[in-house]
Amino acid sequence: MFAKKAQWTVLDLVVIAFALIPVAWLTSLSLKDPSTIADGGFLPSKWTFDNYVNVFTDGGFLQPLVNSIGIALISTFVAILLGTFAAYAIARLEFPGRNIMLGAALLVAMFPQVSLVTPLFNIERNLGLFNTWPGLILPYVTFALPLTIYTMSTFFREIPWELEKAAKMDGASGFQAFRKVIVPLATPGVVTAAVLAFIQSWNDFLFAISLTSTERARTAPAAISFFTGASQFEDPTGSVSAAAVIVTIPIVIFVLIFQRRIVSGLTAGAVKG
Amino acid sequence: MTTDVKAAERRLGLWLCAPAAAFMLLVAGWPILYSVILSFKRYDLRFPDDQAWVGFSNYATVLTNEFWWTSFGVTMIITVVSVAFELVLGMALAQVMYRTLVAKGLLRTVVLIPYGIVTVVAAFGWFYAWTPGTGWLAAMLPDGEAPLTEFWPAIGIIILAEVWKTTPFMALLLLAGLAIVPEELHRAAAMDGAGRWQRFVRITLPLMRPAIAVALLFRILDAFRIYDNIYVLTKGSQSTGSVSILTYRNLVSGLNLGIGSTMSVLIFITVAIIAFFFVTVLKTGTPGQGGR
Amino acid sequence: MLNPTRRLWCAALACVTAAGLLGGCGSEASARVVNLYNAPQQNLSKIVERCNRLADGDYKIVLNTLPRDADGQREQMVRRLAAEDTGMDVLGIDITWTAEMASAKWILPWKGEHAAQAKAGVAKAPLKTAMFEDRMYAAPSNTNVQLLWYRSDLMPEPAQTWEQLIGVAKKLKQEDKAHYLEVTGAQYEGLVVWFNSMVAAAGGSILNADGDKVELGEPAVKALKTMRTFARSDAADPSLSNTQEDTARLAVESGSGFAELNWPFVYAAMQASGKDFAKDFRWAPYPGIDGPGNAPLGGSNFAISKYSTNRSEAFDAALCLRDKESQRMSAVLDGLPPTIESVYDAKGMAKAYPMRGEILKALETAVPRPVTPVYQNVSTVTSKYLSPPSSIQPVETERKLREQLVKALNSEGVLP
Repeated sequence: MFAKKAQWTVLDLVVIAFALIPVAWLTSLSLKDPSTIADGGFLPSKWTFDNYVNVFTDGGFLQPLVNSIGIALISTFVAILLGTFAAYAIARLEFPGRNIMLGAALLVAMFPQVSLVTPLFNIERNLGLFNTWPGLILPYVTFALPLTIYTMSTFFREIPWELEKAAKMDGASGFQAFRKVIVPLATPGVVTAAVLAFIQSWNDFLFAISLTSTERARTAPAAISFFTGASQFEDPTGSVSAAAVIVTIPIVIFVLIFQRRIVSGLTAGAVKG
Repeated sequence: MTTDVKAAERRLGLWLCAPAAAFMLLVAGWPILYSVILSFKRYDLRFPDDQAWVGFSNYATVLTNEFWWTSFGVTMIITVVSVAFELVLGMALAQVMYRTLVAKGLLRTVVLIPYGIVTVVAAFGWFYAWTPGTGWLAAMLPDGEAPLTEFWPAIGIIILAEVWKTTPFMALLLLAGLAIVPEELHRAAAMDGAGRWQRFVRITLPLMRPAIAVALLFRILDAFRIYDNIYVLTKGSQSTGSVSILTYRNLVSGLNLGIGSTMSVLIFITVAIIAFFFVTVLKTGTPGQGGR
Repeated sequence: MLNPTRRLWCAALACVTAAGLLGGCGSEASARVVNLYNAPQQNLSKIVERCNRLADGDYKIVLNTLPRDADGQREQMVRRLAAEDTGMDVLGIDITWTAEMASAKWILPWKGEHAAQAKAGVAKAPLKTAMFEDRMYAAPSNTNVQLLWYRSDLMPEPAQTWEQLIGVAKKLKQEDKAHYLEVTGAQYEGLVVWFNSMVAAAGGSILNADGDKVELGEPAVKALKTMRTFARSDAADPSLSNTQEDTARLAVESGSGFAELNWPFVYAAMQASGKDFAKDFRWAPYPGIDGPGNAPLGGSNFAISKYSTNRSEAFDAALCLRDKESQRMSAVLDGLPPTIESVYDAKGMAKAYPMRGEILKALETAVPRPVTPVYQNVSTVTSKYLSPPSSIQPVETERKLREQLVKALNSEGVLP
């Protein structure tokens, strides 16, 4: 038994190293003093937090970070709101458009985003939405919708809806029954969908660089790719890695809190079929 | 009475779906239609007075262009190789996550990091790691090697970045498939003297087929869209650009909406063909189709 | 700065209401701000300060710095222009972008008094770079020519042709001395600059004067032959296919090159490097194929965005940013050659520009790059087919290049 455990421990460690080394490398790079940044070592030989300070003082990173947070939150909220309606209908109601809706969502999920870049660029510049928050929120919501609809409808199917009826028989009003019985049962599905939708919006790069042009709406990933370095001859390695670590923090927090939810959300529906 | 209830239910269902459907129609449906229209036009922002219908001439231009076929080939290579690696590694990873006796929860948490991390951020990590002078991986190479400036090494690094980022996703999908393989079958087969490998090939794989097919479909379509990693790692130089990179360049750098839209449509068609192949030929069920 | 929510509502409103209702969202409060977008230039802020002082409250120039690389600068500008962004007023544009932006009607023509002021005293070659189809679209700000920079301790008499240069390199190699001639051979604009100059030296051009027909032909084949011969000779640095302006400069400063073809900024850098051969660092005309060559022409000008909401202030600001004193400051502080000829005799120039006579002379025969709205395609395609220079197949390359350029001119070109 001990030998077996040791064997698994080694395998586990390999997996963990595989998953974490690139992240550790970026973190280490962000802590390197500019004078040692080009030494090629994995770990910093001289530590500094300057890169983090610089990113906010002269990196122009604060506004993109605010944009990223705002845009991702709003997109998530809208996608969850619309997604809940649709998922409820798909899970509970008998109506003719049900399969069309599922098919459409699947189609959008598989959509090559770059196919939308050209037309959206032209449409948004004519509508004045280019380089604005709504200009990014629109595509983000659209691409988060399939995810939220699928995840939530899978969850909603598992809810024993008869409980609602039972509660009503026990004298609860319609709204009370919904709030006291259904909401707690549905919440996990909604949270899962929200986390996945947020990660997806947070992650986007293609729309962010195609549909924005200034700090007004540029999100953090796009801003990082535009870093120019403190002076003309200095490569922005330190600032880029510091900003990269900052962008990763919310993801790590989410993963730590919602690990189970994310896993169940990702695999929802994949098994059947 | 019941028909009334049914009609009401039908109406409610449609109303509840309407906002989401409207969103997808307006932001995905209309633009793709619009890009079909643009693809039949000469529409170059640099010649605003010079727009005209040109029929299929943009398609002829793109389909006879060597840059298009180069990036198409590159995209295919990256898709096939990285998905193949992901499938094998993902299967191994799923097995470890499923069977390990130690720190199961920790493992499942850690592998979510590559899944969740912003692709561009991870790409910068790889970019610096392979940059001579700065990178710890480049430091292991002989002097004077700059792998990101040569075609095959650069493609290799792009694939590596893809594989690292998406193997966990693949593994999680496969893990869900593993979970439905009944343990008793394994035990019975083991009693009959089947070795580990035999059991894997004879029992696990066939039962997991639907899960594998879905995972493959998702990943292939996703890999075909590859953009972020290449943008950061090579910007498409040395012919390492994917079709997405090429389209973006012709739109934003070239300002040629006609050509850019034509490429958009061609990519869309390719993706549709791949999806069609999976769904009809391989009979891949779509997720969520399992009845109520 | 507007807070994000407010901005969001403004933007949302913009899509449903007429622009007139948007009083609170616009930039009325800062009506006289002139937004200048320019490539990074170390002391440009001093010039901006000076103009703001002179403006005395008529306008206030705000300097916005674009990315470091030319492609990045262009991309950011054209994307915002295509989106009719009103936030840009004065644009510092590379001379090769004039045709594109003018043809797309993104920049305003210069007329009357403004044009007269912007033309006054400007040398012929740089003035032409501000024109498109006989109209003026920018105020010439700085020009540039490449020269042959060499170490006279290794090459006492500057060679005049490529053949001679290759001969010198061969001899230096035998003597075990630095024998590389540094040329911008990487796959980027620098390679096009080189090729363009070579075709001119062979008596031809890439496109015709109107920029609507491909020329190339025999002279181009000759130019390609010379480039390939050089790339395979002792004179070529093994990293030729990765060499850009700054790489070339560093190679000579570090002692591995005996000469380089580069812009004048290398002179000040060499003097500042403290190398003992800095005193032997000289300049000579750009080499040719059979006789004297034609120097590549560079530079940048100021254009006014069509979507500027403060047009008259923007024109005034642009004029100030490139007047005699501003050009003198750019030249002395940042090493950018002036477009106004009389500035070459101004205070401080003799010390910063000992080579100014050569620059003025080179300007007379310098070759501009092709003038066409699709220059971006022409340039990208050209550098693609010519890279790496050692694998050029003169006849074959000329044919393929011609094919792609013809397509590019019909805007059927695909950018690689």
